[in-house]
Amino acid sequence: MQSQQIISVNLWQIVISLCNLIILFLIVRRFLYKPVKKVLAQRQAHVDGVYEEADEARRRAEADQAAWAERMTHAREEADAIISRAAENARMNSDLMVSDAKNRADGIVRQAEEEALLTRQKAEEGIRRELAGVSAELAEKVLGREINESDHRALIDSFIDELEDSRDADQ
Amino acid sequence: MTETKKTGKPSRVIDVLLILMMVLPLLAAVVLKVLYTPESKGVDIHGALVYYAAEGADISQVISGDLIITEAQINSWLVIISITGFCLFLTHGLEEHAHSARQHLAEWLVEKAESLVSGNMGDFHLYITPFIMAMMGLSVFSSLMSLLGVFAPTSDLSVVFGWAVLVFFLILIAKICCGPKVFVKSMTADGPVVAALNFIGDFSTPVSMAFRHYGNVMSGAVIGVLVASFLQWLSRTVFGGIGAAFPLLQIGLPGILSIYFDVFSGGLQAFIFAMLTMLNLGGAFPLEDWLKRHDRRRKEKQAAQQTV
Repeated sequence: MQSQQIISVNLWQIVISLCNLIILFLIVRRFLYKPVKKVLAQRQAHVDGVYEEADEARRRAEADQAAWAERMTHAREEADAIISRAAENARMNSDLMVSDAKNRADGIVRQAEEEALLTRQKAEEGIRRELAGVSAELAEKVLGREINESDHRALIDSFIDELEDSRDADQ
Repeated sequence: MTETKKTGKPSRVIDVLLILMMVLPLLAAVVLKVLYTPESKGVDIHGALVYYAAEGADISQVISGDLIITEAQINSWLVIISITGFCLFLTHGLEEHAHSARQHLAEWLVEKAESLVSGNMGDFHLYITPFIMAMMGLSVFSSLMSLLGVFAPTSDLSVVFGWAVLVFFLILIAKICCGPKVFVKSMTADGPVVAALNFIGDFSTPVSMAFRHYGNVMSGAVIGVLVASFLQWLSRTVFGGIGAAFPLLQIGLPGILSIYFDVFSGGLQAFIFAMLTMLNLGGAFPLEDWLKRHDRRRKEKQAAQQTV
């Protein structure tokens, strides 16, 4: 078996070697590069999809959260309004009750005063009438003559008034 | 665990076949080497064995145009078959949710190659990634063939020169892809002297790339042979007859040297070759002119459509 010189160039060998490299390039591209790139692209697409979904879910969650927060603030405002309204009602009710009670108490007191005044007037009237009758009778008996009832009454009234005035002055 | 079950797991049978596709070519290379290596005495440094020569081909010529098939070609083809098996094995049973180590390896390889290309040439040239992968794979595995004791195709100048010629054509295509006007203008922009230098530089690029790669791998092989034969002589003189029958001193040192010359240097040269390819291609491609041209063409097309 012969062998080549250690440094030798052969045209055919160059051409064959050149074609070898092209063939291996096509093989690598077909059987290694493209399948791997395809899988990588698929994975990238999948990952992008997952990210998109996550973003979407997050957006939705944030929207929900905002809605809930709004609702919560509304609820708090509402609760505050309800409480203040209730407090107002209660205060109004109590004011009403108190004033009502006061009115009634005033009415009762006034009625009692009026009744007392009336009773006293009646009593005074009765006493005065009785006193006039008695004194007239007494004077009739003493003087033995009929005196004018009306003159007499005026006299007695003035007398009583004087009596009352003196009593008031003493007091 | 066959595919008929549709469990989503890759079929073991196909895996085994693909692994055989990876391993058998390498075994075949070893068998061919063992069968056809002529008995040699002393230091014998020669090129590739010639398995087939056309009628009247003169093998002893340094530069020849005769059709011959040598060890280098056979081993290249075996490496290609092996790499094909490797690619098929890596991409067998790819799925979106990567569980297997081989898928991680496949993705790692592709991503590393892409980052290398985009780092050296820019993202615009990512389409060239499989070419760079093929080039590095072929170069590395060809150099590593010497670990099996067979002829490394990269230690044949014609093989590496073929790759360099391909790179030269690619650079030429990249330069004239914007039309001959841009090409001529870029070549002769700085006067006739620089134009001549540019011209020489374009032709010397593939030659220098080829000789760098070939020289490094070949020198490793030569040094390996020299050291091995020196150790053979040493063990014969030290141990006498036993040393001649069993060159004991050959154990150890050639292996350590092989780590540098076959593994490290082979990988490094593959990397350098790919890097030079990328840099030369990236530098040759007039991206701005191309984008301008592309833009103008698109506008012309739109204008034509509007008039229709």
